[in-house]
Amino acid sequence: MIHFKAIGKIMGALLVLIALLMLPGIGFSIHYGEDPWPVLTSSVIAMIIGVVLFLSFSKQDQNIRKREGYLIVAISWLFMAGFGMLPYILSKEITGFADALFETMSGLTTTGASILTDIEAMPKGLLFWRSMTQWIGGLGIIVLTVAIFPLLGIGGIELFVAESPGPTSDKVHPRISETAKRLWYVYVGLTIAAMLLYWAGGMTFFDAINHALTTLATGGFSTKNNSLAFYDSAFIQYTAIFFMFLAGTNFTVIYFGLVGKFKIVLQSDEFKTYAFSLIAIALVLYYPIMASGGVSNELAFRKSLFQVVSIITTTGFVTDDYTQYGEGVTFICFMLLFIGGSAGSTAGGIKFVRHLTFIKNSWLEFKRLVHPRAIVPLMINGDRVTGRIITHIMNFLLIYLLTFVMGSLVLSIMGYDLMTSFGAVATSLGNVGPGIGKVGPVDNFAFFSPGAKIFLSLIMLLGRLELFTILILFTPFFWRAN
Amino acid sequence: MGMNIVIAGAGDMGYHLATQLSYDNKDIILIDTDREVLDYVSSKLDVLTVQGDATSFEVLQRANVENASMVLAVTTSEKTNIVTALLAKQLGAKRVMARVRNHSYLEADNLAYFNNLGIDNLISPTMLCSREIYNMIENSSFTEIFDFGGGKLNIVGVTLDQSNPLVNQRIMDTKSNPIFEDIRIIAILRDQKTIIPRGSTIIRNMDHVFFVSNKKNTENILEILGQKKVEVKNIMIIGGDDMALTTALRLEGKYRVTLVNKDKERCKWLAENLKNSLVINGDYKNIELLIEEGLEQMDAFLALTESSETNIITSLSAKNHGVYKTIAHVDTREYIHISHSIGVDSLINKKLVAANEISRYLKKGSVDAVSGIYGVDAEFIQYSICKNNRVIKNPLRDLHFPDSAIIAGVIRGEEVLIPDGDFQLALNDKAIVFALPDAKTALEKIFH
Repeated sequence: MIHFKAIGKIMGALLVLIALLMLPGIGFSIHYGEDPWPVLTSSVIAMIIGVVLFLSFSKQDQNIRKREGYLIVAISWLFMAGFGMLPYILSKEITGFADALFETMSGLTTTGASILTDIEAMPKGLLFWRSMTQWIGGLGIIVLTVAIFPLLGIGGIELFVAESPGPTSDKVHPRISETAKRLWYVYVGLTIAAMLLYWAGGMTFFDAINHALTTLATGGFSTKNNSLAFYDSAFIQYTAIFFMFLAGTNFTVIYFGLVGKFKIVLQSDEFKTYAFSLIAIALVLYYPIMASGGVSNELAFRKSLFQVVSIITTTGFVTDDYTQYGEGVTFICFMLLFIGGSAGSTAGGIKFVRHLTFIKNSWLEFKRLVHPRAIVPLMINGDRVTGRIITHIMNFLLIYLLTFVMGSLVLSIMGYDLMTSFGAVATSLGNVGPGIGKVGPVDNFAFFSPGAKIFLSLIMLLGRLELFTILILFTPFFWRAN
Repeated sequence: MGMNIVIAGAGDMGYHLATQLSYDNKDIILIDTDREVLDYVSSKLDVLTVQGDATSFEVLQRANVENASMVLAVTTSEKTNIVTALLAKQLGAKRVMARVRNHSYLEADNLAYFNNLGIDNLISPTMLCSREIYNMIENSSFTEIFDFGGGKLNIVGVTLDQSNPLVNQRIMDTKSNPIFEDIRIIAILRDQKTIIPRGSTIIRNMDHVFFVSNKKNTENILEILGQKKVEVKNIMIIGGDDMALTTALRLEGKYRVTLVNKDKERCKWLAENLKNSLVINGDYKNIELLIEEGLEQMDAFLALTESSETNIITSLSAKNHGVYKTIAHVDTREYIHISHSIGVDSLINKKLVAANEISRYLKKGSVDAVSGIYGVDAEFIQYSICKNNRVIKNPLRDLHFPDSAIIAGVIRGEEVLIPDGDFQLALNDKAIVFALPDAKTALEKIFH
């Protein structure tokens, strides 16, 4: 059956990693003359429990199969959320379990929805940890872990199967640990590049590093109450657009682009659709913003492009309130919550490759109706997508929409209005951040009841882990031997 | 000078090549693993046979490849062919050539690797066939089309029926039509015999007539025949092997292609490799299915299955359902004559196409290009006038040209000339000669 002991060893290693990543926050606390103890204590607690777990299970054989893979992914996030909320609670800056869980889960799932009403009043050390939770969640715990765990002698292919059930099978390197390492370099490299450009654009060093962490994670936590609208700088906003775009691109494609294999980049149907859609939708939204008056052409285009890229890549930074341009624009932005970035990126949501599969397959269905005997294959990136994968993706889409409908139902039963329910569930499930109704781009999630906050946290986790990974734990097939 | 040629593989293509080359008085050594096949060949042809694996040194040495002017590796196995060619070259063969299936080997860059390894040329019969089919579709009004001088001069063949204005006319009477100044009838196939027409020859119903003209006037030939040029748009292909795929790939960029094949797994594979073609899984012998998939709206029908019989029969039914152009792949020699007379438009034969290409390659130097006609021994041969000999000192009528050969046309620089008796050849002219087999020796004498 399930090897819980092998899972214990991995959780131990994970906690040690979390403890180490908390440390830079202590530096900021000391630098800004704040109390460093909450973060330090959290780090020490995570470190001790991590080491104990790791040592007590270190003699276990490393037999990880598919089932353990799914469990590890799910439990990892719960573990990280549990220890990640310690700094908030110990510092008493966020009181109440539900608020702390929501803020931590929103970080780790790179959603970016917040219950904080005055972000700028928070201690800097805590804000840094808040941004760091997004960065950790960003590339998914998977790439981080497969980059580190192989050193401990643990294989990771099963994990990859659990994390990405999509049809993408690009290989950067034949060994999965080497692949992870290269993608990790891309992630770190782009984060540093974004930080330097933000810094050069006029942000303070602290703001630059925080925004860089949350941009590359497509998270969207800001250190400013007004998000990126605070920076009235075309340079900073275009830098953000550029790096959000990259963060929503398949990292494998970026890797091939960086090493000069442009042919592979141009072969990627998903990348082409992604880039084209962003520009096309930005042009559509440009007109209503322009028509509202009072803005230059450039500013209208920048506003339009920024919101579109921010929502589609599921980042959630804002420079403008898109709900002020009428019902049409609001509805378009609501629909954008269901798009998502590319597979293999840090973005959440449904993702382009699934939309592409669905649209292409539906289009070809008409051809199949006219020619019942024709063999009409669905080709993506030059490969045939098999019927098994098409079914899987269709099921994903339906379960995704069903989750959205049922989630909205729960919120509306809790007494929230329909617009708010739709917006909150759609943005949580897609890991975006801003929604519609009372959770629009300039609002926050503070007013929800503790129950609703915990519920939305789970919706975020469900969306982040691609539905199946969590839902499978609730099926009898997973727990039965046969 | 005796030319020692080694052929590895006595299958259909090897046999066909051996036949053709032994008629040309070449010394042939044939290698094959199958004793029975070799026995059959030696009972039919005057060739030396060696039994064994052509990739072994011992067998190649027994076949005397070190003295071979040419080694042709044409077994059905691509790998055997490549290894044989490589070894033969190392053992001292002057030129080597291998038959391949993988079309990417034929791309210029990749071909250079093979040249570096010592293989002089690669040949892919399916590739050549698909090229020829493409040509036929491009010029769908004619049964055959031969290009010379990079397309400057065309020779086209077409079968005339009762309704044709040329039928029952004498050749000399047709000259009254001003269009005939640049177009000439150079050969007629009648009852499986080849006639080189004189002024008094009368054109009959069902004659298969060859016209020569320059590229520009090729379309005027249709006017003489009282036909309109038909633009092909929709094409149906039946069959699913390499040839069907290569052909579909070549055609799908320009035409709308429907491909019908029986095997479902193969269909899936085909559909993955074709971009714009519609791949239908079904039995192509079922004419109802073909009609359902739009047979009656098709402008061309290509029957490219493995079975010659199926190809001929389905082509005929396609013709009956109003398809303008039908092309059948016929691998069985015995069927070639009959299919013309029962109404199949055009034929394609892998072995003949490949053998033509190889003969062309072998004759490089003395002859520029050779093209054979299906089911007929006659050939079009292109000679270059590169020496100052007697051909350019006298007009044609004094050259004692054999009766069984005729100069179809002459390419002089960019110009195409249709010669008459007073015509005089010049240095650097390219003369395209239509010749029956018995004229070959006389032609060699005249041009060399």
